[in-house]
Amino acid sequence: MITHQGSAIISEGLGKQYHIGRQSQRYRTLRDTISNAVRHPAQRFKRTGHQGTDGPNTIWALSDVSFTVSQGAVFGIIGPNGSGKSTLLQILGQITEPTEGCAEIRGRVGCVLGVGTGFHPELTGRENVFLSGIILGMTRKEIRSKLDEIVAFAGVEQFMETPVKHYSSGMTVRLGFAVAAHVEPDVLLIDEVLAVGDAAFQRQCLHKMHEVAASGRTVVFVSHNLPVIRSLTQQVLWLEQGMVRMVGETHSVCNAYESQDQNR
Amino acid sequence: MRGPERRNSTPTTTVIARRSRWQALHLGELWTYRELLYLLAWRDIKVRYKQAVLGVLWALIQPFVKMVVFSMVFGRLAGIDSGGFPYAVFVYAGLLPWGLFADSLTRSGHSLVASASLVRKAHIPRVIMPAASVMSAVFDYGISLCLLLGLVVYFGLPWRVEFLLIVLLTLVTMLVALGVGFFVSALNAAYRDVQYVIPFLTQIWMFLTPVIYPVTAIPERFRWLILANPMSGIISAYRAVILGGAIPWDQLGISVGIGLGLFIAGLAFFRSMDRHFADII
Repeated sequence: MITHQGSAIISEGLGKQYHIGRQSQRYRTLRDTISNAVRHPAQRFKRTGHQGTDGPNTIWALSDVSFTVSQGAVFGIIGPNGSGKSTLLQILGQITEPTEGCAEIRGRVGCVLGVGTGFHPELTGRENVFLSGIILGMTRKEIRSKLDEIVAFAGVEQFMETPVKHYSSGMTVRLGFAVAAHVEPDVLLIDEVLAVGDAAFQRQCLHKMHEVAASGRTVVFVSHNLPVIRSLTQQVLWLEQGMVRMVGETHSVCNAYESQDQNR
Repeated sequence: MRGPERRNSTPTTTVIARRSRWQALHLGELWTYRELLYLLAWRDIKVRYKQAVLGVLWALIQPFVKMVVFSMVFGRLAGIDSGGFPYAVFVYAGLLPWGLFADSLTRSGHSLVASASLVRKAHIPRVIMPAASVMSAVFDYGISLCLLLGLVVYFGLPWRVEFLLIVLLTLVTMLVALGVGFFVSALNAAYRDVQYVIPFLTQIWMFLTPVIYPVTAIPERFRWLILANPMSGIISAYRAVILGGAIPWDQLGISVGIGLGLFIAGLAFFRSMDRHFADII
């Protein structure tokens, strides 16, 4: 695969199969392994099509997902619950492996799949900022230089030496997002983190996202919040049951998504 | 695959695809991610003694109580021969490295499952997790080591240059522990049964190792058991260092060999499971 000039992410036919139900899995494996080997001896050597075994106890959380994100673009992913959005981000973030297909990402990848990743309730705010920052890919030096900014963004200055378990849930979430917002990779993958905090904090987050987008970094961003998607992104991928329903310019994809939503 | 993008800031291309089962060992990752390794170990230590009035003192109290109990039961009641040395020092010189090994094993066994949310949400090499567990066990061990030196003073044993070998023996223990730790942590991610097996495993393994009795108590025909067990060589050497016997270099050499083998096999096994951790944990 050759990276096209100017694209940050190229995904070609990504698919992810999950096994569901442990008890029946052994049975399926045994039966299917044997029967597949007998019926389709050639299939093992073919690289096309689904490489996993299909069966009643497997589901394809993602199937044949192809798209391209150009460098510096803000790219949205929308779709109903269970449509495979988070799985796609997990694959792009190299947290889980695709069952088939491949993708290429240019540049340092940062992956924010949850607010306060790596937070421990017994540790203080300051300690958690360092822990979470390192986990998200910053160096200690970077964190130290941005610490004041992060703390001010979260608005928890006077609680930095307090264990996070004594924080309100809003404070924890604000601090978690503040760390995530200050990670500066070339490609940033974000899963639904704007759905947290009060209205004022959401505005603040949105402002930060605009800033990130304006700085020329590539952002891939999952959200249920269509107004936010409309205001932030240029391109949108619409997933439905693990498959690409539509991909293209934000306005038209969002319109199509909304009209289908109303018909449901 | 993981990590190189962190090492330098020049644009790199990450290729994401299904990988083959057997991957390169990527030992360098432990170095590349040393800040994270250090921070996770530090977190473990910090969290363990939070909200405990006696705090880190527990790392002294636990082995001390064990030593007293073992001295009474095995030294006095059972009358195990400690070769003319005070049984308290004799048994503590065994309990100390054994404690490091058993603690490392228990903690690394739980490490992946305890950090399940990190496994599912963060792009960090998972080998860091059992490795950080071993490092946090080393911290406790370091504190318990002070008690050993206290015993040396108390019983008036001579200070010897050979004490410096403790550093080497500690490293070998860590190597063996991490090797076994890779196996148990990866297995525990798939089968939670493992966490119930670990206590039995460490208990039985301890009785098969000359911790509370001397190597000489083992009949000649079970000698292979001692040779096959890397902890035997380490503990025999540890005792020789503290009490001033001849260091069994041949046994220790075999321990190092087995330790290296366990480490490489464990890491290879861990890597082969790595790609499924986020899905099965």
